[in-house]
Amino acid sequence: MSVSQQTGGPNTTPSDDEPDLILQTDAHKPAKRIPVHEWIRRKLAWIGRLVRRQARFFLVVLGAGWGVIFESFRSHAWRRTVRYEFVTTMNNIIGGGVSASLFAGMLTGVAAVSQVIYWLGLTGLAKMTGSILVNVVIREIAPILVGILLLGRNGMLSATELGLLTIGGQVRSMQSVGMDPFLMLVLPRTLAFTVAGFTLGILFSMSSLITGYVMSRISGVITNPIWTFLDDVAAAMSVTDYAVIPLKFIMVGFVVGLGGCLTGLTATNEDSLRTLLPRGFSRGMLIVMMVSVLFSLDL
Amino acid sequence: METYSAGPLLELNKAVPSFEDSGLPPVPFNMKLMPGECMIVEARDPSRATMFADLCSGMVELESGQVSFMGLDWANLQDRELNALRGRIGRITRRASWAEFMPTHLGIILQQLHHTTRTLDDLVAEAVRRSESFGLPGVPTVSPSLLSDTDLTRVSCVRAFMGQPHLLLLEDPLEGGPPELYTSFLSSITEARDRGAGVIWLVRSNAVWQSYRQGITSTWRLADDGLVAVRMA
Repeated sequence: MSVSQQTGGPNTTPSDDEPDLILQTDAHKPAKRIPVHEWIRRKLAWIGRLVRRQARFFLVVLGAGWGVIFESFRSHAWRRTVRYEFVTTMNNIIGGGVSASLFAGMLTGVAAVSQVIYWLGLTGLAKMTGSILVNVVIREIAPILVGILLLGRNGMLSATELGLLTIGGQVRSMQSVGMDPFLMLVLPRTLAFTVAGFTLGILFSMSSLITGYVMSRISGVITNPIWTFLDDVAAAMSVTDYAVIPLKFIMVGFVVGLGGCLTGLTATNEDSLRTLLPRGFSRGMLIVMMVSVLFSLDL
Repeated sequence: METYSAGPLLELNKAVPSFEDSGLPPVPFNMKLMPGECMIVEARDPSRATMFADLCSGMVELESGQVSFMGLDWANLQDRELNALRGRIGRITRRASWAEFMPTHLGIILQQLHHTTRTLDDLVAEAVRRSESFGLPGVPTVSPSLLSDTDLTRVSCVRAFMGQPHLLLLEDPLEGGPPELYTSFLSSITEARDRGAGVIWLVRSNAVWQSYRQGITSTWRLADDGLVAVRMA
């Protein structure tokens, strides 16, 4: 059966020879020229929209970060519910992340030291192991790895939890009885991540240093007791390192916590786990790397 | 709770809600609720009932007019004052309101923990008393997701009546709820009204409140043309 038969035959369909007046009018209409200034305005508007959309989350993080710092110094912000959320989140992060951080620190120590021993041994500078460990492992690698551990274990959890609360309407329900989600969830969780970032970072560093010493001792590169090794490490640290290294851990914890919470709270009804998780992870990785690079810049 | 008696507890004065924000008809809403009064608002659409409760809580943006609670216009308040005032509202809502990561007993007393300085023992004692009055064997300590719908309705009632709220916005828990909840729900409403609290009871069906009709102050219908007063027969 032909198509024409299916649709009722040629008599019932409009003739192909008959011109469509509307299409004909459009086809013969001369293309309207857009003035140059209008074209530039449209392009600039497009670029502005693109930049604003991309920078939106960054601006939200900046604003909320300031809000967290500001509110954390106000005594009335620390109500029982906020203190409860702070302690619970901190216990979860630190309690759950201690073993992972220690183990990751050990692996990093082994990997870094074996490489350091090999390469410095070739150049006869094996005694600089402590200094290299400080500069490479503690200052550069540790904040990134601790940040990734925090992000994977708890940052994504916060993004998902708060995202589902936002999508499900529980956040609006909280607001309707006067419980501000920023005060109840973002503030305590971000500060718990901050404390946990510092704690796990120090544990990670100690673990990698001690493992590094043990590896060096076993391989015979270092013969000094551990106290001398730690003294070498301390001597290899500059005054700035004493401020920058803890600050890096603190900042990494802060931005991972804040980024996770805000990713969740800014979720819309169109979001689901399929969109929230990748977004939370990519944003988290990006801000961890940004903090690390920012502190590594020799300004 | 000090009784508020300086005028209407809740007043909607030519309040035109934003349609984009709420889905409520953008027409003027006029209503007054005095302390101790109980008002029935019949709303067929549950989401519209929730939005009306949001409107009363100052959660909906207005195109014009004003909504005042305890003499204070929601639109003129700062965040801290808004939250403090909303802390005086007890609410049963059909919208999801239980966080999964928080055990039920904490969810019940959370509002009181946040807004008041009452001791934990005092709060727990009240939660236990109210849980028992609503037919629970005690305060549930499991996650809300592990509770049955019936028990979740009961704990929603417990939470709403906790801490002597000034205003109760109750999206009908009786519809589809257990029949034995009826008596405890009505006695809790009466107790709250005797203290001077105002009650807005949002229902889908008139049949629900008929046995309490002598206690009802006024009845309204939430329709496409706004809030319409219904004459009680």
